[in-house]
Amino acid sequence: MTKEYLHAEFRTGEAAAGAIESLTAAGISKSAMELFSRQPVEANPSLLPRRSRMSLGAVLSAIAAGSGATALVFWIQLDYPLVTGGMPITSGWATAVVTFESTMAGAVFGTLCMMIWEAGLVGSKRRAPVPELPDQGVVLQVQCSGRSELDVVRTRLADAGAERMETAFGSG
Amino acid sequence: MSPPHQLTVPTKTFSQVRAELLDRMGGCSAAYLGAVAISGAVVAWALFAWGFQIVEGIGHAGLRRPVYWGFYIVNFVFWIGISHAGTLISAILRLTGAGWRKPVTRAAEAITVFCLMIGGLFPLIHIGRTVYFYWMLPYPNDRLLWPNFRSPLFWDLTAILTYLTGSLIYLYLPLVPDLAEIAGQSKGLKRKVYRALSLGWTGSDRQWQALERAMKLMAVMILAIAVSVHSVVAYDFSMSVAPTWHSTIFAPYFVVGAIFSGIAALVLVMAALRKTMRLQDYLREIHFVNLGKLLLLMSLVWFYFTFSEHLTTWYGNFPREINVFNVREHGLYGFLFWTMVACNFAVPLVLVGIARLRNITTVAISSVAVLVGMWLERFLIVVPTLATPALPAAWGGYAPSWVELSITAGTFAAMILLYLLFVKAFPIIAIWEYDEGIPAR
Repeated sequence: MTKEYLHAEFRTGEAAAGAIESLTAAGISKSAMELFSRQPVEANPSLLPRRSRMSLGAVLSAIAAGSGATALVFWIQLDYPLVTGGMPITSGWATAVVTFESTMAGAVFGTLCMMIWEAGLVGSKRRAPVPELPDQGVVLQVQCSGRSELDVVRTRLADAGAERMETAFGSG
Repeated sequence: MSPPHQLTVPTKTFSQVRAELLDRMGGCSAAYLGAVAISGAVVAWALFAWGFQIVEGIGHAGLRRPVYWGFYIVNFVFWIGISHAGTLISAILRLTGAGWRKPVTRAAEAITVFCLMIGGLFPLIHIGRTVYFYWMLPYPNDRLLWPNFRSPLFWDLTAILTYLTGSLIYLYLPLVPDLAEIAGQSKGLKRKVYRALSLGWTGSDRQWQALERAMKLMAVMILAIAVSVHSVVAYDFSMSVAPTWHSTIFAPYFVVGAIFSGIAALVLVMAALRKTMRLQDYLREIHFVNLGKLLLLMSLVWFYFTFSEHLTTWYGNFPREINVFNVREHGLYGFLFWTMVACNFAVPLVLVGIARLRNITTVAISSVAVLVGMWLERFLIVVPTLATPALPAAWGGYAPSWVELSITAGTFAAMILLYLLFVKAFPIIAIWEYDEGIPAR
């Protein structure tokens, strides 16, 4: 389904922050907004906060990889008992390094996958239009559900100091 | 030009910084092509030497009874140590919010990846019959034989593979926005390639947040992995019951040495980039001075560890250990030992420790000295212990063959070659990270 978007360019991050506050006060959900810039917009808390499960993904992936590798090592050592220097066939001490490294490898892959997924870099179904980015400044994209909302958004953005505005269409 | 003590260039806008850094990627001067040709030729010669060794046998290396670990293992430890320059330094500075890290991090992260690629080759070279390296991997083979998971050599494999993977991702993730910038300014096939590499980066806030979150997590992980990797390299030695190797402080001693040599390598690379790529505005004196202070700190820590290790050996006076100690300190290897101490301690202490002398040139000279000293340290750890077995009648020496010397030279050339190619393919300073970002509150 085709949806209408309004792109507003702001010279500073502060102006974009003001516009977001104004739109939120007018009842526009933050989930309908997106910022675009060539550099990250620094704000604490962020202007458009998003819930992230990246740490959880990394931890789960780490546990899976670490326990999987450890189980594999123990199974292999029992399957083919190799006697070396009087050591026990299976040993937590001697397996610790493999466990640690595979745990960390799992965490790294988990973080990478979560980053790609949360950033919508690969496989994203969202097909919102991408605005032309200014050299300096920020573009605020607002998804509008109808003509009346578009007018409200346009007015609010102009009041907040938008330098340039244009409409665009996407599949949402 | 702004004063040298400032960290960034306040007079330049983001678009100017971007234009300048992207401009440095374009064009190849005659000097650049000459450097590529020379380093490529040395690498080709090293590959020939390696091929010769594979075909004719490991006997063409200078490895003879009792010294079975020579240049290959020395180089392995040396390169893996230098690899700590990147991810570890970058991660520490990222986590501590050190603002001066910004022009430094990518150069450092690239060092890590290249050094790991080079260092990781040495176990393959060292085993002689390189084609059988896959025997180290746990795969279900027809004789149902598995690798020995209790062997530190297998730990090496897992540690280095994890570190290489993590470092590649740690280098790649912050490259993504810059790859999108390059794609936006390119045409044709180049645009398609960079667009694909940038994974469809659009610069949305959602993407920036995910990237910054991922980089923080990765920085924490990479710190742990980096420390573990050089600890595992130290375990290769300390797990064996050999004089002066079987030591509890070997793992932290190796980690300290790795960070030490890593900083020195980073300084040298930065000095070369500054000169050859006209990056004087970006890699400023303050960056070198700050790295010089870190180098000095690590020099003191290294000296402390070295002193503790040697004092314990000397005081213990165990016959097998004291033999190695004597040979190393005032025997056959005495000159190398005291050269190492001078390079790793005296030179940085004077040139970087005295504030009046501290500048780009002295920090770079100290870094060259430290790299020489740390290579010697690796040599002095590996060779004297093996050359001095329990029975004096079995004592021997070690002299590298032309194959080992060629491969060693080739790895240094490979490092230069990889760097030369990298700086023309990717911006060596992170464009989006260089500035403070866009303040919104």
